[in-house]
Amino acid sequence: MKVSHLSWLIISLSPSLLVQAEELPDKQTELVAKVKQVGQAYLVPRDLSSIPQGEFGDKVRLGYQLFVNSQQMRDSYVGNNLNCSNCHMDAGRHANAAPLWAAYFAYPAYRKKNDKVNSYEERLQGCFTYSMNGTPPASGSKELVALSAYSYWLGMSGLMDQAGITTAVAELSDSDLIKGGKREDMLLPEAVKTAMTQPERAALPGKGFPKIAAPKLAYSPKRGSEVYQAHCQSCHGADGQGYESAGVYSLPPLWGPQSFNWGAGMHRVNTAAYFIYENMPFSKSVQLSNQQAWDVAAYINAQERPQDPRFTGDIKQLKDKYHKHQGYYGVSVDGKPELGSKAYGNNPKRSD
Amino acid sequence: MKRGLIACALLVLSASSYAAMPPSAALCGSCHGSQGQGVDPLGPRLAGLSSDYIAKQIKLFQTGKRQNATMQPMSMTLQGDAVYAVADYFSSFDVPIVTPHLRGEKAVYEDPTEQLVYQGDWQRVIPACVTCHGPSGLGVGEFPRLAGQQASYIKNQLMAWQKDTRSGDQDGVMGAIADKLTSAEIDALSKYFAELK
Ligand code: HEC
Ligand code: HEC
Ligand code: HEC
Ligand code: HEC
Repeated sequence: MKVSHLSWLIISLSPSLLVQAEELPDKQTELVAKVKQVGQAYLVPRDLSSIPQGEFGDKVRLGYQLFVNSQQMRDSYVGNNLNCSNCHMDAGRHANAAPLWAAYFAYPAYRKKNDKVNSYEERLQGCFTYSMNGTPPASGSKELVALSAYSYWLGMSGLMDQAGITTAVAELSDSDLIKGGKREDMLLPEAVKTAMTQPERAALPGKGFPKIAAPKLAYSPKRGSEVYQAHCQSCHGADGQGYESAGVYSLPPLWGPQSFNWGAGMHRVNTAAYFIYENMPFSKSVQLSNQQAWDVAAYINAQERPQDPRFTGDIKQLKDKYHKHQGYYGVSVDGKPELGSKAYGNNPKRSD
Repeated sequence: MKRGLIACALLVLSASSYAAMPPSAALCGSCHGSQGQGVDPLGPRLAGLSSDYIAKQIKLFQTGKRQNATMQPMSMTLQGDAVYAVADYFSSFDVPIVTPHLRGEKAVYEDPTEQLVYQGDWQRVIPACVTCHGPSGLGVGEFPRLAGQQASYIKNQLMAWQKDTRSGDQDGVMGAIADKLTSAEIDALSKYFAELK
C-alpha cells in the first residue's frame, strides 16, 4: 500500500510523466475460474440469421464483424495482428472460451480493490489496451456499442430460448447497451427474470476458461518447449509468429511484437494453461495432459512481447504492483535479460 | 512468418527465370501437368501448394501413410534431394489470383456450405475451414490450398481420411475434421472450393 502511494507521488511529481499520472485502470482483472462440470449443458444463442433487420440488428452484425475481423481496426484501435476471435473461439460463442453471452450478464462488476464499478464497455476497452496492444475506442463509440450489442443479443437470445420465449430480443439504447446486463434496471422478460437470479445469470456455466488442477511438477518452459514443438509449432511457427495468408494471420502469433502484451490476461501462466488445456491444439484432435498444458503455457509466456502499457520506466516497480501472479514479467529465464527489459512497443502502426 | 511474401518473391523470381524442370519431374507431368497445373481426373494440381507440403506428401506416400495405388509407386522414383527439387519446381508456378473473402466480412451466410467454410459448425467442433487453410482456402505453409483444386480430388481426400487410407497429418488434425463431415457436406465442400478460382 505504502509503496504504491509513494510511486504515485513520484509519478505525479515528474513533469515528463504527467501524461501517465492518471493511472491506466486494471481492466484485465482475473476472472474467477471454475472447474468444468461433466455433462454440463450450456446456453445456446440464436443463429445469427435471426438477427433482426434494421438499425439495432445492424449494430449486432457490426459487433460480430469487428470481433472476427478486428484487423479492420488496425492502426486505429488495434496494435497487433490478432482478432478478438483468436482467443474467444467461434466468434465469442464457444462455451469455455470466455464466451460473450456469459460475459455480458456479469457487468457492471463491482470491484473491492478500488471501489470501482467496471462497466461492460470498460471491460471491452481493456481488451483493446492489453490483448490487442492498442488504444481503445472512446466510451460510447460506435465500436463499443456494436460489440456490446452483439454480446447482449447472443446472451439474451439464449436466455429467452431457454425460457421458451420466441419473440425478438428487445432493443436497448446505446447508453444502456454499454453498461452490461447485471443491473437492477436491466430490461428482462418476466420468464427470464424468474428462471434465474441475477448472480446466476452473472455466472453462467461455460463462462471464462475452466480451471484445471495445479501441475504435479512445477511448470517449466524447458519441458514446455518440447510440447510446443510436438503439438503447436506446425500452426504457430517455430518462432511463434504464426502464419499469414492474404494479409490475414488466421494462425496467430503467440509472442513477439504482433501478439498480446505483458498486461493481457493471457500472459498469466494459469490463464493460458486453462485456455490451452480446453482449446488447443486448435480443433482438439488430441487432448494435452494437465502437465503439458502448464508447461507449454509457461513456454509461450517466457518469451518477450509488447510492454505492459502501465510501464513508467521501472520494471521492478511494475512487477511488484501488477504482476503478483504466475507470470514471467521481470523474471530472467535461462540467464537471459529479465523479461520486459527488451519488450516491444505499444500500439505500433502496421508499417512499423 | 511472412510466408506469403516469401512465396511471392519466389514466384517473381521463377517467372522471370522459368524454373528449369529437374529430370525427376519429367515423369510427373503426364498426370499433374508439366507446370503442375493438374490433369483432371489423372492427377491433382500441385502448383499453389508450398514446397514443404509437397515434400511432406511425397514422403507420406513413400511410407504408406497415404495409400494410393497410382501415386505410391511414383513417389518411390524420388529419392534423397530429388524430393525437394521436384517439390520446389512444382510449387514455383503461379495459380489464378482469387480475391480473398475474409472471415468476419459477413455475419450471415444463407448457404450452409459457405457457413461451414467461413464460420464452421462448433456444435460438432468443426472450425471454419479457412481458419487453417487461409482466407478463401488460399493455403499457407503446411495447409494446402483448396481454392481451385479439382472437386473429385478434394472429395477423394476427405473420404480417404474417413476410410483411414490417408494419415500423417500432425496429430490427426484434418482426419478428425473429415470424420465429422457427412457425404452431402463433402460433395458440397468439394464443389465449392473447386469453383473458387
Ligand atoms: C490474446 C487472447 C485474447 C484476445 C485477442 C482477446 N481476448 Fe478477451 N479475454 C482474454 C482473456 C484471457 C480473458 C479473461 C481471462 C481471465 O481473466 O480469466 C478475456 C476476457 C474478455 C471478456 C470478459 C469475459 C468475462 O467472462 O467476463 C470480454 C468481454 C472480452 N475478453 C472481449 C474481448 C474483445 C472484444 C476482444 C477484441 C477487441 C478480445 N476480448 C480479445 C483473451 C483475449
Ligand atoms: C491446427 C493448428 C493449431 C495448433 C496445432 C495449435 N494452435 Fe493455437 N491457435 C490456432 C488457431 C487457428 C488459433 C486462433 C483461433 C481462431 O481464430 O478461431 C489459435 C489460437 C491460440 C492462442 C490464442 C491467440 C494468440 O495468438 O495468443 C494461443 C495462446 C494458442 N493458440 C496456443 C497454442 C498452443 C500452446 C498450442 C500447442 C499446445 C497450439 N496453440 C496449437 C491454431 C493452432
Ligand atoms: C499416373 C499418374 C501420376 C503420376 C505419373 C504422378 N502422380 Fe502424383 N498423384 C496422382 C494421383 C492420382 C494423386 C492423388 C492421390 C490420392 O488420391 O491420394 C496424386 C497425388 C500427388 C500429390 C499429393 C497432392 C496433394 O495436394 O496432397 C503429390 C505431391 C504428387 N502426386 C506428386 C507427384 C510427383 C512429384 C510425381 C512425379 C514423381 C507424380 N506425382 C507422378 C497421379 C500421378
Ligand atoms: C485445424 C486446422 C484445419 C481445419 C479447420 C481444416 N483443415 Fe483441412 N487440412 C489441414 C491440414 C493440416 C491439412 C494437411 C494434412 C497433411 O499434412 O497431410 C489439411 C488438408 C486438407 C485437404 C487435402 C488437400 C490436398 O491437397 O490433399 C482437404 C481436401 C481439406 N483439408 C479440406 C478441409 C475442409 C473442407 C475443411 C473445412 C470443413 C478443412 N479442411 C478444415 C488442417 C485443417
